[in-house]
Amino acid sequence: MMTEEKIPDYKKEKKRVDGRKMDELRPMSIKVGVLPNADGSAYLEWGQNKVYAAVFGPREALPKHTQNPLKAVMKVVYRMATFSVPERKQPRPNRRDMEISKVLTEALEQVVFTEQFPNTEISVYVEVVDSQAGSRVACLTAASCALADAGIPMKDLVAATGVGKAFGEVIVDLDKHEEDAPDAVDIPIGIMPNSGQVVLLQMDGLLTKEEWAKIIPLGQKACKDIYEVQKNALKEKFVLNEVSEKTVEAGVNDKVEEKTPKVAAKKETKEVKAKKVKK
Amino acid sequence: MRTTILEHELSKIIDLARQAKRLDGRGLEEMRDFSIEVDKYENAEGSARVMLGQTEVIAGIKMGVDKPYPDSPDEGAISVGAELLPLSHADYESGPPSLDEIELARVVDRGIRESKAIDFSKLCIKEGEACWIAFMDFYAINADGNIFDAGSIAALVAFLNAKKPKLNDKNKIIKGEYDGKLELKRLPLLATFVKVGGKIMVDPTYVEEKASEARYSVATTEDGFMSAMQKGKGAFSFEEINYMIDLAYKVNDEKRKKILKLVKK
Amino acid sequence: MKRIVIPGELVSDERKRLGGNVFVANGKIYSKVLGINDSEDEKAGVVPLEGKYFPQMEDVVIGVVSRAIFAGYNININSFVESFIPRSVMREELKVGDLVSAKVTYVSELREAELGFPRKMFGGEVVEVTPVRTPRLIGKNGSMLDLLKQGTKCDIIIGKNGRVWARNGNTTLLRKVVGFINQNSYKSNLTNSVEAFFKAEGIEVSVIKKEDVNVLKNKIVNESEVLNESEVISNEGESEVLN
Repeated sequence: MMTEEKIPDYKKEKKRVDGRKMDELRPMSIKVGVLPNADGSAYLEWGQNKVYAAVFGPREALPKHTQNPLKAVMKVVYRMATFSVPERKQPRPNRRDMEISKVLTEALEQVVFTEQFPNTEISVYVEVVDSQAGSRVACLTAASCALADAGIPMKDLVAATGVGKAFGEVIVDLDKHEEDAPDAVDIPIGIMPNSGQVVLLQMDGLLTKEEWAKIIPLGQKACKDIYEVQKNALKEKFVLNEVSEKTVEAGVNDKVEEKTPKVAAKKETKEVKAKKVKK
Repeated sequence: MRTTILEHELSKIIDLARQAKRLDGRGLEEMRDFSIEVDKYENAEGSARVMLGQTEVIAGIKMGVDKPYPDSPDEGAISVGAELLPLSHADYESGPPSLDEIELARVVDRGIRESKAIDFSKLCIKEGEACWIAFMDFYAINADGNIFDAGSIAALVAFLNAKKPKLNDKNKIIKGEYDGKLELKRLPLLATFVKVGGKIMVDPTYVEEKASEARYSVATTEDGFMSAMQKGKGAFSFEEINYMIDLAYKVNDEKRKKILKLVKK
Repeated sequence: MKRIVIPGELVSDERKRLGGNVFVANGKIYSKVLGINDSEDEKAGVVPLEGKYFPQMEDVVIGVVSRAIFAGYNININSFVESFIPRSVMREELKVGDLVSAKVTYVSELREAELGFPRKMFGGEVVEVTPVRTPRLIGKNGSMLDLLKQGTKCDIIIGKNGRVWARNGNTTLLRKVVGFINQNSYKSNLTNSVEAFFKAEGIEVSVIKKEDVNVLKNKIVNESEVLNESEVISNEGESEVLN
């Protein structure tokens, strides 16, 4: 729990409030296929953030007037549980929820081969159940895993993170203290890891072009590391070897267990560390 | 309206029910296995995650300070909300609260409120000026039937663990500091039944709910009281209702024992 | 060599012929889906591990009636859009929830499958699997399907859209085995593992060897004949719902 902790001198000590280095991400873990009723799903923990993503589709778009005869209509709905934030959030979606839903939809539209599914819709529901800065990029990262889990053809995944500046230093994956810093600049960014294309980009704060030039490589490297976590989460269900005698019995019971999101405890999660970026 | 593909099982479920059998092999009076994760969501002042079979429900409490109602100046309150998230089933859409969601919230609320599990006078901060409101919201994350009972378990566990934030002298919440727990005087739990093919069964799955002709829930406490009842669709004889009440006490006592064991850990 | 690939992952940078579920960018071949690629295949393609049913002509599918209107029936076949059967084409009257077996006779640009030879299915049970994994249930030349029939003694019809219909015989065991195959669909030597699975249950089955393939082919030809005959005989499984 983050109380009024003493904020270190970022420039001098090269250490952040929670002890991370400037280019270090908070621990992240992802599990896919966690919601049996969805066509594809993922559960992601990133720092204190905990989000569910579920995909339904491609399925017939209804009402009929929303259908596009040339491609699938993508819809991402971003919502937060009332208890997912420090001050209780009203259950009704607010304008922030709507805006985030919009930018997430526009991000994922870029990667899905929507032309393959005319007249259909692909719905992605992301629900934040606990948060501490960076919920939208957590949702985007989880959503692209859920789309892959649903078997939906895509050009790439989307790996997303926050980057920016706080307390005089350029940093990756801002946490709450850093978001509240007087000189805070928060830049959520979503990248297609194999092509480097940027599909999510927002910014608030005051930034110079020189600072921006330092931030970009930080974001790119972080997204590459996040991509590895996503890749492993998608592949870990499938161990490519011959079925052994043991698996013959285990196979039947595994089915039920697989559905429960067994997210590794924080200490077991892969600590995603980016290599130091030379300034 | 979207349909799910499970309709073809409906006649099978009704046939099985007539023979006192169920699709998953359970007895008519048998509940599914359940597991609980306590205090998982750190921003909540109390929270729980419940898996009842494949039904997954999460609940969280946020404590707020507000002016007491004029007709009860020395009491605080609880406020319960529920949502069947579109995540949880292809049949659920995003939008304003549906009739089912409203009913869910109100029935779980009544089970807790009417049982006097919470002493509202203990939630008073300053008579006539400030009191605690415990906002409890629960969400279906994966819907395989009986969100009522799963929600009731999640709500109970969340309340059991709810802590009261510390207040400054202006009665504003001090972040990150807590002063005591909510404390429950009773442990009410809902038990939900459906009638399928004329036979009554406890803890229905999604398809059993779809195949059912009637539904009934009753909340019972450990000291022999009932604190809420709700008949959903359909009709029952008094004989059937008395049967369900007796069975409710039994299954709820078993559930309660398991909950207390899991929560103590 | 087989490996699991994810969307956007490089499948080959050689000039190979294209298989399914891949796309070309910058002269290289990438996967579109989460699936398996075998570098020893002469075509560079990916077999998907997840996903709904992609209708193909000539496929046998098992559908569920999702809606009955004046003109006919909407049929759910686990695909992206539902199919439609006009009343005039059906011999029997259907209601919501009924099972129908049919053959895909045409697939439109909008991926809507036209269903020919529709027949109501009576009784039996349906086991669902991940639609894209259905080929493993059938096996090369129907070898896996044959194993299933041997081991459970059920009448089995496998719909390419991820639905297995079975009747008479050990349907409980069939459900288990089908679940096992679905979960291990991507592994090698699956037929041997299924043989072992049955053995663990005390049932001896034998995998059809290459020499006997022709025998098997004949069996399957007879299958499709059975499918086209009217299945009027057994009404026993049908139950009346009293409301």
